[in-house]
Amino acid sequence: MTFPPVATSADLVEIIDQVWVSYLDPDGVSPLVHMDPAQSASDLYAAVSITGSWHGHVVVACSTDASRACAAAFLAMKSDEVSDDDVIDVLGELANIVGGNVKSMLPPGCFVSLPYVVNAPADTLRLPSAVKVCELAGRWDEEPICVSLWQSQNELKGAHSS
Amino acid sequence: MKILIVDDSRVMRQIVTRTLRQAGFGDHDLIEAENGRQAYDKVVTEQPDLVISDWNMPEMTGVEVLRALRTEGKDVTFGFVTSECTPEMQQQAQAAGAEFFIIKPFSAERFTEVFSPILG
Repeated sequence: MTFPPVATSADLVEIIDQVWVSYLDPDGVSPLVHMDPAQSASDLYAAVSITGSWHGHVVVACSTDASRACAAAFLAMKSDEVSDDDVIDVLGELANIVGGNVKSMLPPGCFVSLPYVVNAPADTLRLPSAVKVCELAGRWDEEPICVSLWQSQNELKGAHSS
Repeated sequence: MKILIVDDSRVMRQIVTRTLRQAGFGDHDLIEAENGRQAYDKVVTEQPDLVISDWNMPEMTGVEVLRALRTEGKDVTFGFVTSECTPEMQQQAQAAGAEFFIIKPFSAERFTEVFSPILG
């Protein structure tokens, strides 16, 4: 059995760098400073699921202030001008963009779900059939943001038995 | 020209609009749809000259909209702005009659490159 290739932390870095350059820090003045994921707390998260020839999830988690800063940057507004709906929409779109780009690295036959956003810390998320395979954590204007990729345990078992 | 921007994310519709302006296409008549079904209906009723569509949306996906339009003989210029980019999707888009395929995240330069030949 040949195990399908999966995105790595380096791939996540490349995807996130593109998002920062395009939407969150187009002037290059406020980069995401990488940090130890263990130090990254969150207040809310967005996720998409990937199904088909590969099964897993992409999760984007951050603090409330980071989520408002993301929405403000996406919409070219000030943080205190964005609505809760703006925040939900932007965080979901972030998960969608990362998930779509991860999909391009996976075998043919994968599908990305529509995003969902949960107003709770990411450590409350339970994905019982999946394990975290890589993640990228950082601080953006001192606020934590973490992007993680989760993979079905069944596929990992298949890989180890091949 | 009339341009229909289709995305289930309101934020992304705003970003596409802003990027069109940054790329110098802000003088065109911009209208929006928030899912595939609404996009199909607006092509029929509003008769846009160009459709810039997301791929993964509720109601109908972008490629389903394109196929339905072509089946009905609607030859509006249609293309995709999507975070998903696989060879199979690009083949599906091309086979359905898409004129372009832009990957999120995108830049104003990419919009200029793609839309200058279409919008002049």
